[in-house]
Amino acid sequence: MYAETGHRIRAELTELLNQHRIQQRLGGPARYQPMPRTPEERQAYGELIRRFRQSALVWCHEAAIAVAPSAVSAIAPTIANPFNKNARRHESLDVLNRALETSIHASSARLPTMHELTTAHDIGLVEHWRQLARAAVLSEQDFDAGLGHGRLDAAQSRVLIGDIAAVTRALVVLDQRYSGTPGWERLHRGTHLGWAALSCALEASLDPPDYSVDLAGWRPSVKVLRGPAKPGLLGVLQAEHNLLVRMNASPSAMNLRLVVDSQRLLSADLAGLAATIDPDLAETWARRSETYRAIQHELRNVGGNIGRGGLAVAEGANAVSRLEKILPGDELDPRVLHAFSQLFDRVDGRVADALQTGISKQWYFLRVRTLKDVGSSGTKLARPIDRYMPLAEAEHSRLTALVNEQLRPAPEPKLVSQRAVRSRAELHQALITGPDRSGGLAI
Amino acid sequence: MLLDPNHATTLAEARSYIAALADAAHTVGASCAYERALIQLDWIHYDDVPALDSAGLTKDREVLSMLVTSSLEELRDSFGLDPLEVELLHASLADARALDEP
Repeated sequence: MYAETGHRIRAELTELLNQHRIQQRLGGPARYQPMPRTPEERQAYGELIRRFRQSALVWCHEAAIAVAPSAVSAIAPTIANPFNKNARRHESLDVLNRALETSIHASSARLPTMHELTTAHDIGLVEHWRQLARAAVLSEQDFDAGLGHGRLDAAQSRVLIGDIAAVTRALVVLDQRYSGTPGWERLHRGTHLGWAALSCALEASLDPPDYSVDLAGWRPSVKVLRGPAKPGLLGVLQAEHNLLVRMNASPSAMNLRLVVDSQRLLSADLAGLAATIDPDLAETWARRSETYRAIQHELRNVGGNIGRGGLAVAEGANAVSRLEKILPGDELDPRVLHAFSQLFDRVDGRVADALQTGISKQWYFLRVRTLKDVGSSGTKLARPIDRYMPLAEAEHSRLTALVNEQLRPAPEPKLVSQRAVRSRAELHQALITGPDRSGGLAI
Repeated sequence: MLLDPNHATTLAEARSYIAALADAAHTVGASCAYERALIQLDWIHYDDVPALDSAGLTKDREVLSMLVTSSLEELRDSFGLDPLEVELLHASLADARALDEP
């Protein structure tokens, strides 16, 4: 998730910006030097740092490419020509992207090896650079997993552009500060890169940001909770969690009916157990049970053999059978009960997805009974015939209404990571303050 | 598989009676048990079954139980439904009845 990787990038850069007297930290000559190093050793450290810096530059470049499709200029004319796709193009970002590309290609440093990225360094300064490069490499997988490539809105894009600009400016500042390192190679057209980043940062700050961008990016996939059943209500929670994971595969119509059946029964039984502990929760679950009853009613005439879902059905049966063993007088942990609410919302969303996918891809069919005239020697008899028609064509508005109005959970308020937001402020503070924190420029 | 019209009619009736029993059940557990019996009947026919229509049927559970028993026996005797499957369906319906309030 970008909240974690982005925070790590900014935190390491903040730490690097706060460290001055670079040559002394690398073991250069000083009045008191506990770890003196030869110029050749310091040159080797400098080359390693440049390789780590290359990873950070590549991250900036990749991020600029990823955010470009959704980036909208804040200073372009408001009434733009709708037939000109470049009318509101983010030109500052384009300039920054080109400057980054030039700097990357002009550098003689290669990207760090896996060994260099994963081996801790004994010098603290170099270790911070390693952590920065590691976070940058990890963050690259966020771009294909929802962070960019047209999947961000304008406000979210502004935050990412601001981050790219801040990281680039920090690299330019550090480039100046490390110039005394033996064999150090300055960034190609570093001043131009700094101005381009500043331009992007200023443009990104013109409109309010949306920090929900931190929630985008790669997340580890949810896994099945294996092993024996947990005791009591935890066992039911375990089975319901597993059902959610198993519902990743679209179920056949019959298996969907069985899953719906298990959810109806589970909600009704849990509502009964929760009635004395949390009446509001009990009422919500009783309503959920009623929703599933209505869906079950609608699915009686729905068929379709495409899909799987056998494992989801088995987990649903596990949940119901484990819940049956809990007696009304048993002590229940309210925290476990509340955990069901979140899980139920996600299962409801998954069932709604399964239904909508089945309808749109014509996997599910509606059984329809019609009367057909059978002519025989002048007489006409009406004989019932059964036929199937795709649900999408059948205008099954009742089922669609149930999915859209009752099953689809209300969007959750997005909880933004305060740590990630704070690290942005800290990086900007580190960019503008000197070693004595007096407010002088860090360069 | 194309069902014989009489077979389809009897099967549709059996499905409709079980659905009506699920609607008329007084407890959620019994209603779900009837729904599973309906799915069991559909599963025996590889989900290639006619549409049901429980609208307008009686709400009397005793009458509906007798009707579904009669339909299942007709499916077994006249249309070759596996007797073991029919017995298992009877057992499922008996379990559902036991879960329901009197």
